[in-house]
Amino acid sequence: MGETGTILVEVFFQTISYWWVIIPTIFLGLIVGGVPGFSAANTIIILMPLTLAMDLETGLIFMVSLYCAARMGAGIPAILVNIPGTAGAAATPLDGYPMTKQGRGQQALAMTFVASSLGGLLTTVIALATMPVLARVGFYMHSVEMIVVMLFGISLIASIAAQDMVKGLIAGFLGLMIGSIGTDVVYATPRATFGFLELYDGIPLIPALVGLFAVSEAFVIIEKRLIITDDARKAMATPSWHATFEGASIALKRWWHIAWTSVIGLIIGVIPGAGASIASFVAYQQSRSFSKTPEAYGTGHPEGLIAPESANNGVTSGTLVPLLVLGIPGGATAAIMLVVMQFHGVSFGPSLFENNPKVGYGMFMAMAVSYLFMMFTILPLSRYMSRVTTVPTIYLAPMIISFTLVGAFVPREYMFDMYLALAFGVLGYVARRTGYHVAAILIGVILGPLLERYFLWSLKKSDGDIMVLFSSTLGNVLWVCLALSIVLPIWFETRRKRREIVIQ
Amino acid sequence: MTKGQPINRRNFLRTGTAVSGIALAAPTLLRASSYPDRNINVVIPTREGGGADRNFRAFTSIWKEKLGTDFEPGFFPGASGRVGYEIYMGKNEPDAYNLIFGNMGPEVLNWAMQEPSFDIDDYLYFGRVDTDPGALFVGAESPLQTLDDVIAEGKKRRLNVGTSRMAHPASIGLLSLGEATGADFNLIPLSGGKNTVAGAVTGEVDFSVLTSGSVIAAGDSVKTLLVFGENRVGEALDNAPDINDAFDLDLPEMLSSRAFGIHQKAVDDYPDRFEVLTRTFKETFEDERLLTAYVEGRGTPEYLNYGGIEECAEFKAAMLELGARFKPLLTGA
Repeated sequence: MGETGTILVEVFFQTISYWWVIIPTIFLGLIVGGVPGFSAANTIIILMPLTLAMDLETGLIFMVSLYCAARMGAGIPAILVNIPGTAGAAATPLDGYPMTKQGRGQQALAMTFVASSLGGLLTTVIALATMPVLARVGFYMHSVEMIVVMLFGISLIASIAAQDMVKGLIAGFLGLMIGSIGTDVVYATPRATFGFLELYDGIPLIPALVGLFAVSEAFVIIEKRLIITDDARKAMATPSWHATFEGASIALKRWWHIAWTSVIGLIIGVIPGAGASIASFVAYQQSRSFSKTPEAYGTGHPEGLIAPESANNGVTSGTLVPLLVLGIPGGATAAIMLVVMQFHGVSFGPSLFENNPKVGYGMFMAMAVSYLFMMFTILPLSRYMSRVTTVPTIYLAPMIISFTLVGAFVPREYMFDMYLALAFGVLGYVARRTGYHVAAILIGVILGPLLERYFLWSLKKSDGDIMVLFSSTLGNVLWVCLALSIVLPIWFETRRKRREIVIQ
Repeated sequence: MTKGQPINRRNFLRTGTAVSGIALAAPTLLRASSYPDRNINVVIPTREGGGADRNFRAFTSIWKEKLGTDFEPGFFPGASGRVGYEIYMGKNEPDAYNLIFGNMGPEVLNWAMQEPSFDIDDYLYFGRVDTDPGALFVGAESPLQTLDDVIAEGKKRRLNVGTSRMAHPASIGLLSLGEATGADFNLIPLSGGKNTVAGAVTGEVDFSVLTSGSVIAAGDSVKTLLVFGENRVGEALDNAPDINDAFDLDLPEMLSSRAFGIHQKAVDDYPDRFEVLTRTFKETFEDERLLTAYVEGRGTPEYLNYGGIEECAEFKAAMLELGARFKPLLTGA
């Protein structure tokens, strides 16, 4: 066994011995991840005095465990009550919530726990094994290539709009227009802010997210007695472990799906500045494009839930790679980890694995061990968590609204954000009642500003030459892949229909 | 033994008025003497995890002991720092419990580009923490490894240069370099220091310019080629030369300078509180532990540079003048 192998084994057993930190942190992470507006990043900031007081190893394990668990926690309310806790979980309710409404909330939770844990574990191992190679991804994925990656996610609007293309595209464009509110990335000129200072930094994601999904859903469910159907309620009257095992089994049977969608998350996570929201939409879009049953997506399809959850947990390990190898934090949480670790005198970057190999490998090992622990500690909770769906809507709807409004307030502590969440709630309600898809609006709101940023950088770099979009080899390959991922499913579908006609 | 005065109406009223006056003034006196009796909120107009975050934590780790209370940072990035200032001036009470920790370089330059919604004299910087010259740096794997490479290549083609924001002293330094050498540079605002470093390291841009403290913190992922001011740290910035020495110029130092600011109204209404702030701020500089805190926080102790109200006002005025001069180039106007 080489020197690295010895270090890895040593670090593994050392990390396991910190179970007393990891297990409570997992539960803390689940809570902060599940509450809209909270996240691993702002929890680490709040608890920073505590983190700084811990020794290096404990602090590191605490932060990494919290990060992983918060990512997984964000999926729980997204599935059960249509409240994605973070932008990274925005694609989770697309199929997770329909499952809940069908009375399969327990299965959906078990599925997401297995997909998240396995996806996170797998990508952590891959990241650990291929760190030097993965760190190179950022060297090839520049603004031009990122435009195409964004378009993979945005093209999901067209898929969602398949049933009513005009309404779907209108919703998507509305989302993109809303996403363009704020100051421009080059000269910081305010656009469409209507004089509201609170909109200078763009539309805040959490109010938009909880408003469009949760508040509008609360308005809709209040018209019914329960979220779930009567049949589902009868089935849930006698809760059992069976549904948990069934959900876990469904996910395990789709291990290959978990693997490749989590790798999408890993690769996107490695790119500095990209994040879980991009990864989960791209994974969902890819999953749907190459599915044999694309029409089932959006109706409670297991793969539609597995794809975004595996991907956003894949991002978690991905963001650590540029941090550890290049000294560039891949996301907000990684940036805060950087500050904390620097206070402990650890310098990140190329010299880390020479000077402090145990710290470098230790962070990945902490992630792997956290995912292992999560698999066994969280799975049993699905049985109890899913009971929330049996609460009558006269209690549940006001709880959802107040819970989400607080969530909208938390990140920036502006009353404005609560009003904004309500406004998005009304918009979402009108959209639902008139047949416009709120997810299409949301994709525009989330991915639109990122697309614009990369687009303006590209144009600025090329002095306004639009052909810059086709100036890189990798970019052109991605363009072809994008075209194929849009055209091939349509072609397969047409061929399938023709065959059906011939058979009839 | 002196004989006490008899209690009559006049004495009774006189004593009563005095006692009432003391009783009424007591809360104010008590408040003044016990300031601060709660945490102090600090608006930071950049993202968490960046250079401002690092410096803020290092500095306040000592200052909080002098002041006897903790500091609570709130990060309000966006619009090149404008969001944080607008929030500070528009939403925070001018009661000396709300401060701003800004960068007097780029953020004051901003006012020269676009006027804010408030009067820029309605706040003042009272405590300069550091002065940090801008630097030009390349990624460790960049084909441009020397300053000569950069100039020669810049004469052949337009080089894309990352900067954290257009209105930044380092951007002005770069434009001055272009003027002096005839090299053609195209500034690309990459929204923040982390992205600017990442841009140079990953090859998104040909190279970047940024405050040198953040360049030093990036470690050996980058290589510094030029400093837009005196290189006070030598090896930490790869012994890069000062632009004035390298090109025989006479430019002012292109400095970023982090400083604590406060509402002018708070200074006027609560002079006693302001006195506590400025006194303890200065005492922090005199504490030897500040240097250790800076080193531990990966700050650059050589850049620690105390400045009071006057020094900050001078800096603010100089930045406004520099901004007015380079406005057409930085705004695309």
